[in-house]
Amino acid sequence: MSAPTATSRTSPATSSLASSTRFRTFVITFSIVGPVIYMICLQMNWPLFTYHPATNRFALGWEAARSGEGPNMTWYGWTAMTLIVGTVVSFLATLLPESIAKKIPLILVWLLPILAIPYLIYDLRQWWFHP
Amino acid sequence: MPVDIISVNTFWTIWLLVHLILAVFLLGALTHQAVSVMMPVRQVAGPAGFVTRFRAVPAAGYATAVCVLWVLTFIVGSYIYTKYRIYIRIPIEQAGYWKTQGFFDFKEHVASIGLTLLPAYWFFWKNAQNPQYDTARKILTVYLAVACWFLFIVGHVLNNVRGFGS
Repeated sequence: MSAPTATSRTSPATSSLASSTRFRTFVITFSIVGPVIYMICLQMNWPLFTYHPATNRFALGWEAARSGEGPNMTWYGWTAMTLIVGTVVSFLATLLPESIAKKIPLILVWLLPILAIPYLIYDLRQWWFHP
Repeated sequence: MPVDIISVNTFWTIWLLVHLILAVFLLGALTHQAVSVMMPVRQVAGPAGFVTRFRAVPAAGYATAVCVLWVLTFIVGSYIYTKYRIYIRIPIEQAGYWKTQGFFDFKEHVASIGLTLLPAYWFFWKNAQNPQYDTARKILTVYLAVACWFLFIVGHVLNNVRGFGS
C-alpha cells in the first residue's frame, strides 16, 4: 500500500471570506500589528483593565495591587487591548486602496512573532537572573 | 460556582483537565500539520512507514480546527488562570522557583501572540493553492506548532511543581 501523495494543497478557496481582498488585508494586518501592539502594551504596561482575582474587581487601565486584596492581573488587559486595537487598525487598513494594501509585506506576518521571542526573553530577565 | 454538587477543588480540577485535553487535540493537529509542511509526501514506492503516514495528512483540513482549538484552549486557560494567580503562583514565588515563574509568564505571552496569528494562518491555509502564501503559511504553521509544544510542556512542568493535590 502506498501513502497518499502531497496533501498540503486544496482546491481554490471557495468561501467568500477566504477569497475576499478586504478580508485578506484585514487578517494580514491583524497578524502583523497584533504581536507589535502586544509588545508595546507589555513594554509600556498599558493594559486595558486590571483584574484583582481575590476580590473579583476590575479597574480601567493599570492599577496596583492593594494591600490586603491579593495580587493584580494585567495579562487579560494586555490581551484585550491588543485584540481591540488590532481590530481597529486592521479595519482601517481595509479602507486603503487595493493597490496599497497589496504592498503590505507578507514577511512581517512571521518575522515579527519570531523577533518577539528574544524580546520576551529579555523582558522576563527579572526571573532568569533573580538572586 | 457549583459547589453544592462537587467540591471547589474538583470543579477547578475538571476545568484544568478540559484545558489539558483541548491542548492535546491542538498539539496533535498542529504537529501533524507542521510535519506535513516541512516534509511533504511526494510519492511513495512500496509500503508507507509510520513517519510517512504521520505526515501524509490532509493538512489544509486542520486549519479551522486548529483555530477553534487554540481559541477554546486559550479561553479555558484564561478562566483557570485566576486560580493559578492566587493558589499556584504565590506559593511558587514563596518557594523561590523564579525560573519556573518566568517560564509561565513566557507561556502567557506566547499564547497571546499565537492568538493574533490565527487569522492570517487560517487565511493562508484556505488559500493553500496560492504559491504567494507558501512561505508565510509554512513558517506560521511551524511557529504555532513549536509555540504549542512550548505551552504544553511549560504547563505540564508547572502542574508537576504545584498542580493536582497540592
